[in-house]
Amino acid sequence: MRNDIELDAIIEDYLQGKLTAAEAEAFEKLRANDPVIDHKVVAHKVFMDAIKQYGKVLSLKEQMDRAHARIDVASLSEQLKPHPSFIINMWRKNKSAMAIAASFILLTIFSIYSIQHNTMQNGTYEVMRREITNIKNNQNKLVRTINSSPKAEKGHINAAKFGGTGFALTANGYLCTNYHVVRDADSVYVQNNKGESFKVKVVYRDPQYDIAILKITDDSFTPLSSIPYKLKKNSIGMGENVYTLGYPKDDAVLGEGYISSKTGHVGDTTQYQVSIPINPGNSGGPLLDNYGNIIGVITAKENQVDGATFAIKSKYILEALNAIPQDSLGKKAVFAKKNPLQGLNRTKQIDKIENYVYMIKVYN
Amino acid sequence: MSNKLSDSFPTDREVVLGILNNSEDALNKLYIGYFPMVLQFIMNNNGDEDDAKDVYQEAIIILYNKIKSGDFELSSKLKTYIYSVCRRIWLKKLAQQSKKTNNVSDFEDIVSVEVDLEYHEEKDLQFEKMGSALQNLGEPCKTIIQDFYINNLSMQDICEKFGYTNTDNAKTQKYKCLQRLKKLFFQS
Repeated sequence: MRNDIELDAIIEDYLQGKLTAAEAEAFEKLRANDPVIDHKVVAHKVFMDAIKQYGKVLSLKEQMDRAHARIDVASLSEQLKPHPSFIINMWRKNKSAMAIAASFILLTIFSIYSIQHNTMQNGTYEVMRREITNIKNNQNKLVRTINSSPKAEKGHINAAKFGGTGFALTANGYLCTNYHVVRDADSVYVQNNKGESFKVKVVYRDPQYDIAILKITDDSFTPLSSIPYKLKKNSIGMGENVYTLGYPKDDAVLGEGYISSKTGHVGDTTQYQVSIPINPGNSGGPLLDNYGNIIGVITAKENQVDGATFAIKSKYILEALNAIPQDSLGKKAVFAKKNPLQGLNRTKQIDKIENYVYMIKVYN
Repeated sequence: MSNKLSDSFPTDREVVLGILNNSEDALNKLYIGYFPMVLQFIMNNNGDEDDAKDVYQEAIIILYNKIKSGDFELSSKLKTYIYSVCRRIWLKKLAQQSKKTNNVSDFEDIVSVEVDLEYHEEKDLQFEKMGSALQNLGEPCKTIIQDFYINNLSMQDICEKFGYTNTDNAKTQKYKCLQRLKKLFFQS
């Protein structure tokens, strides 16, 4: 026991270098000869290192704790902690994923948007729909309400209630106008540009395309000379200059514009959208291109959009004509192959077609 | 010392020299300077203030040992080094608690610190062993050993402190304690 304590003290002194040179030499000899002592030395060294390190770390921790106590952790963490809002946190953590998702959604919206063929560029898709419904409600049929002027009509006590425009399809008195012009009619009269009035009968109604075919039944009617214009069967390109002749007042009025869209109200493919100034009474008027081809029938305009007028495509006039027995249309029912108006200037064209455009007067 | 220290970083050179000279002031500056960075990182990655304190102190110990060992080379800024070490330690802890470790929100650059950490883990294990050995040793042995080997008190001081009649008695007592402690330490 005593020896062990002494040995331990010597090992300790040896490791700390406290032994004199002679003592150290003697001890090293002893250590070399006795593996047990050697083992003790090594073990003691390891242990001493461990306990010194332990002491160092312990004191370091104490120092750090003192430093830590000086930091205002509460206010710091208040500053630095993740935002309490779940959404902002989500955003901060998943910025990239959300950005991708958002761009995907945007892309989807734009795809749907373009598929829907909407012409308005502003606002969101939903807002757009609402607006369109709104516009739909406000769509105006361009029927003119005629102020009562009893003396204007010979042979009739009552003044016409509504007015529109129509144009001749055949020389023997078939006319084309809008269905909505003659919809509630008890009797219908037409008046040409010379002021002559004829009684007509509605022979065909097509509410779907808003087309009606009239036949002049009046005895005083003399068949017209051949129809100067031609019905265009294929559709026409955007930007084409067009004009119309109509009766928004008691004399014919010319309106000029261009095709602004190949589809009509809410993408209706049976119509064109035309940028042309028109007024109540223009309904049923012919829409002609520069070469004097009839390309459509003016029907309506939009209240909320400037310069958006709609015209039924001429193709549907042909369809309506096909519904009428061929023999009753007479020989001249088929339009001339060659268009006599082609090559004439606007004034000359109007001069020629004027006689074939009628004011339609409706009584009920 | 005033609060303004908390927002001023000591220069890296200042810190290294300070630690080599055992300057408590340098350690304080280092500690206060970089703690907010680590706090921010931990708190934004499923941790709280206490986690931040533990992780940060571990990182400082690693840095301290590295500097003290003498072969310290500044291959990056101290700030980056501390951040990287903390990040590595915290990710490991999160993995141990089997918490989510993907999607780490980073606030600083990072450098590779794997080697330093492995070395530290060994040391840390030894530290833990010594701590529990001392704990199991009980009083008065624990205090005698700590006073003699850590606080570098002389046998004379210990003799007086514990009221032994002479230093031989104290030495015998210390020897017995040491034997037991060694046994505990090497066996655990």
